[in-house]
Amino acid sequence: MARVAQGIKSLFLLEFVAAFWLSMKYFFKPKMTVNYPFEKGPLSPRFRGEHVLRRYPNGEERCIACKLCEAVCPAQAIIIEAGPRRNDGTRRTTRYDIDMTKCIYCGLCQEACPVEAIVEGPNFEYATETHEELLYNKERLLEKGDRWEREIAKNIELDAPYR
Amino acid sequence: MVEYFWTAIWPWIIWTPILKAIQSLAFIVPLLILIAYIIYADRKIWAAVQLRRGPNVVGPWGLLQSFADMAKFLFKEPIIPSGSNKILFLLAPLITAFVTIAVWAVIPVGSGWPANEGTSWVVANINVGILYVLAISSLEVYGIIIGGWASNSKYPFLSALRSAGQMISYEVSIGFVIVTVLLCVGSLNLTDIVLAQQTGLANWLGVPTLTILNWFWLPLFPMFIVFVISALAETNRPPFDLPEAESELVAGFMVEYSSSLYMLFMLGEYLAVTFMCAMTTILFLGGWLPPADIAIFNWIPGVVWFMLKLWLVFFMFAMVKAFVPRYRYDQLMRLGWKVFLPLSLFMVVAVASVLHFFDLAP
Amino acid sequence: MPKLIIDGAEMDVEDGLTLLQACEQAGSEIPRFCYHERLSIAGNCRMCLVEVKGMPKLAASCALGVNDLRPGPEGQPPEILTTSPLVQKARSGTLEFLLINHPLDCPICDQGGECDLQDQAVAFGVGTSRYDENKRAIENRNISPLIKTIMTRCISCTRCVRFMTEIAGVEELGQIGRGEGAEITTYLNKGMLSELSGNVVDICPVGALTHRPFAFTARPWEMKKTESIDVMDAQGAHIRIDTRGGKVLRILPRENDAINEEWITDKTRFVCDGLKNQRLDTPYIKKNGKLRPATWAQAFEAISKRMNNIDGNRFAAIAGDLAAVEEVFALKTLSDYLGSPHIDCRTENCSLSPDGGRAGYLFNTTIVGLDKADVILMIGTDPRSEASVMNARIRRGVSTGQTRVGLVGAQVDLSYDHDYLGAGPQTLVDILEGKHEFSEVLKTAKNPMLIVGEGAIARSDGRAVLALAGRLANDFGMICEEDDWNGFNILHTAAGRVGAMDIGFLPGEGGLDTNGILAASETGNMEVVYLLGADEIDVQRLANSFVIYQGSHGDNGAAIADVILPGAAYSEKTATYVNFEGRPQMTMRAVFPPGEAREDWTIIRALSQALGKTLPYDNSMELRKQIYEVAPQLAAIGQITSEPISSLRELSHEAIRIQPTPFVLAIDDFYLTNPVTRASVIMAEMSTLKQEMNAEQAAANSKGMVQTHG
Repeated sequence: MARVAQGIKSLFLLEFVAAFWLSMKYFFKPKMTVNYPFEKGPLSPRFRGEHVLRRYPNGEERCIACKLCEAVCPAQAIIIEAGPRRNDGTRRTTRYDIDMTKCIYCGLCQEACPVEAIVEGPNFEYATETHEELLYNKERLLEKGDRWEREIAKNIELDAPYR
Repeated sequence: MVEYFWTAIWPWIIWTPILKAIQSLAFIVPLLILIAYIIYADRKIWAAVQLRRGPNVVGPWGLLQSFADMAKFLFKEPIIPSGSNKILFLLAPLITAFVTIAVWAVIPVGSGWPANEGTSWVVANINVGILYVLAISSLEVYGIIIGGWASNSKYPFLSALRSAGQMISYEVSIGFVIVTVLLCVGSLNLTDIVLAQQTGLANWLGVPTLTILNWFWLPLFPMFIVFVISALAETNRPPFDLPEAESELVAGFMVEYSSSLYMLFMLGEYLAVTFMCAMTTILFLGGWLPPADIAIFNWIPGVVWFMLKLWLVFFMFAMVKAFVPRYRYDQLMRLGWKVFLPLSLFMVVAVASVLHFFDLAP
Repeated sequence: MPKLIIDGAEMDVEDGLTLLQACEQAGSEIPRFCYHERLSIAGNCRMCLVEVKGMPKLAASCALGVNDLRPGPEGQPPEILTTSPLVQKARSGTLEFLLINHPLDCPICDQGGECDLQDQAVAFGVGTSRYDENKRAIENRNISPLIKTIMTRCISCTRCVRFMTEIAGVEELGQIGRGEGAEITTYLNKGMLSELSGNVVDICPVGALTHRPFAFTARPWEMKKTESIDVMDAQGAHIRIDTRGGKVLRILPRENDAINEEWITDKTRFVCDGLKNQRLDTPYIKKNGKLRPATWAQAFEAISKRMNNIDGNRFAAIAGDLAAVEEVFALKTLSDYLGSPHIDCRTENCSLSPDGGRAGYLFNTTIVGLDKADVILMIGTDPRSEASVMNARIRRGVSTGQTRVGLVGAQVDLSYDHDYLGAGPQTLVDILEGKHEFSEVLKTAKNPMLIVGEGAIARSDGRAVLALAGRLANDFGMICEEDDWNGFNILHTAAGRVGAMDIGFLPGEGGLDTNGILAASETGNMEVVYLLGADEIDVQRLANSFVIYQGSHGDNGAAIADVILPGAAYSEKTATYVNFEGRPQMTMRAVFPPGEAREDWTIIRALSQALGKTLPYDNSMELRKQIYEVAPQLAAIGQITSEPISSLRELSHEAIRIQPTPFVLAIDDFYLTNPVTRASVIMAEMSTLKQEMNAEQAAANSKGMVQTHG
């Protein structure tokens, strides 16, 4: 009997019709899509986007070339060369490169940084046309830092109570 | 005699090809535009069911998306694998596209003038239309087989084999389904098949206004379902899109294709899908005939009705893609050979018997 | 043998050990800052506290001898706990105190990653501080171009002070002030110019004293560490070469009790910038009086064109100070093939020869043997600049009162008390004849020894001085078969010399020595001279010859060369060097040679092919196999093969015809002795500084004299 019922069900596509009905209900539901370039979803203050190198408010770069980020980087995307700075002999990087294509955005570099110099900022829209453009050097990272400083400072402030 | 040649035969030799070329062009261009929107609709419908928006950036509501895609494909670099057979590799998509366009030659899309005179809007109104359709659409499998083989890669090859098996299997039941229709019509001419649906069940039931009941979908009901499902399988549409099952075969026989070659395959695929929608319309949904014998409906040109029905069938196709999960290959074969083939065979016998014993045969 | 229970395990320990050493032997590690096993015990860091059952308070284990512990009331052995809660609390308390004034600047500290304080704070510390007041800060002192000071980091362990005083033997560092005011200083703001000063960087447990030229360049974890051998002097100190990205960044000592304990000289440590300056990185050919870069093929072609059908007698080869056994052997084989007997490795013209057996040119007592010596007669040598680390070992013997040192030759500061006996060979004659009071000292000594420096034998009467030394050795019981004591020692200054002599890179039958080759070149009798890194000769005398220079640096030899073949420095090749004890050791390649430069023996091998005299080996294994056939003792890497000492007796039979001129030193400038040091900016700076300092000293002395007399 059950098999006959099943046969009739199949023949008249009852399950199919039910599924069709359900899909039609979804068909007219409001869409979930965020209309990306024009609308953007909210970001957590902990969002790990593009890296920047920050400066102190007086313009002094924060990075002290301790190389902890380089050491902790699991993808070995960071390369640092250090040396005493010419004018005052303080410890500074002479080279700070991040290969953004190697980076896995784990955030360990910003966790390791003792001076909050390297930070993964909220920017995620930095696609480029060539691979080379994603090999960031110190200059570029500092420039990005200047551009995103306000947002990053705010994010750090928001996240501070949980650290 | 010479004069006869110059006055009758020569103009025929000259003008017929030109006329046919113009006719074909006037048919193909709207057809390709139709395909562009079929693809667009496919994506939109699928997206809607999944609570997405679908293409919405190129042109208003994304209406120009297909044209943008086409431009992209044309400007991309065609990559030909070094191990491939270059001639066959290039030939395969051409075969697919050519065959899928050629098969449209016999599709009548609207009533002729005057109506009911056995004429219609069709490029080639030939009496063996159905045979032509079967013959040409069987060639589609060559494009796939050749493409899969010429790529010299294991995924395309496996997929091409699957695809060939699948298409051949379902062509059998499609053939029998068409036979049941032919039994009711008594002609292989597609125009005749449409016109045969002007009378029928509605008249018997005494509601001649509801011409929708005249169409073959009702009297041949299970065959309508079998045909639609077989059409899905025949055109490699979900849930029977095994040849390009991403999870196992990457992208089927088209893995190695890119650029305009890939576009030709896609075009062929959607042309075949649309063609199957048109065939469903013609065989079971009365072609360009209006669904009710009402003055307003009759004023509307037949081609509009034809398009409406075609879109309706395609909508079903698209919805099926959205909510039916993919079949396993053994399930697909079981359905084709163990369900549809016996069923359609039985129906051929049953319909023939009914027609014979009740002396209804045309 | 006192019995102890350490962490529950009962054990017997040797007499005279400290508790810390006993615990170490028992496998319980004791953290420490001030304690260092080669320095005296200070007991001021309080990190090594352990609990001794029965004692009212915790005991500093570094300063407590095992013999000082009393048994328990029932005679049970004293029980020591090294991990009890009390000890742990004491350690974390000590660390908290140490960290009160230690800045938290690990990220910018060069010691970070290899810092004792960092490690121990992680292992034993509490992680927080209860100290709210201002930290102290101390001004940095510019004590040396080699050592960077960040004195705020100092934890006053005084290891550096003890090292300088006890090992280096100069009281250049000291601690002044008390409590918070305590600081390490050079007293009068003078510089630290000891040749061993760099070792304070290693022993400093924090980042107070760091490697100045290396400052901030790399972290310990990102460098490749290659264990190798030093060639700056002939002692063959064990070193570790730290490299990153194909550059030698720093050189550190390795422990080896038989050679360098754990010290190295400043020359060894700070020479690494010389490994990248003035390098020859491509072959050069002289055209129209100017050297122009060329390819290997062109260089070989130029040589083979010049040497086509050359008479073997008109070809000579000189091996320099840094040439390793492999290339010297290859060059010797090539000379043999060319039929030339004119080969020599003794660039300073010293009178050594292997005639008296190997013992005739080795430091036979060995460095370890120095610990047994009770009287040392130094002849024309200054071990402080010729083998500084060994000098520290002699100093240890002197400072414990075991060893007495007599010096004949130039009057130098050996950094320890010694008897200055005289300036020239005549003094030796006096001693030999018993006219000198030191003869008595030698006579009564149990293990007397003498050290002949190159300065004593690199003179025209060198053979005579050598014979004199041999006679001294014989007459004063320095050679004693029964005791297995050999007190006859030659102190070489060049790392490659002993190895080259071992394989016989010396004039053959009718061959000329270095001086002869130079003279022949001047008279135009020497067509081609091959210099294998020979820079310490008067190269101007070679102007008439076609000079092929093979070496790593653009130094003296390269300046007059007609063809330059770029070779590898000691950090860039795996090569055998034999130190002055006759101990063969292998350097390890830490980086690749720059540019087109190649490992030296391969150059000679390739050249031999170009000359149509292909050498019979294709790889270093085959080459070494042949070397070991000629000199089997070289196969025992790291071992000293004992030499029959009877051969030394022969030495004394030579006629003694001496000249009265005083001995001069083999090394006049400690910091500039070979091409690598001459390429080093730091060494140049140190050399200038040292000269200024000496001039100042001399001025002060003369002033003092004027005052005394006036």
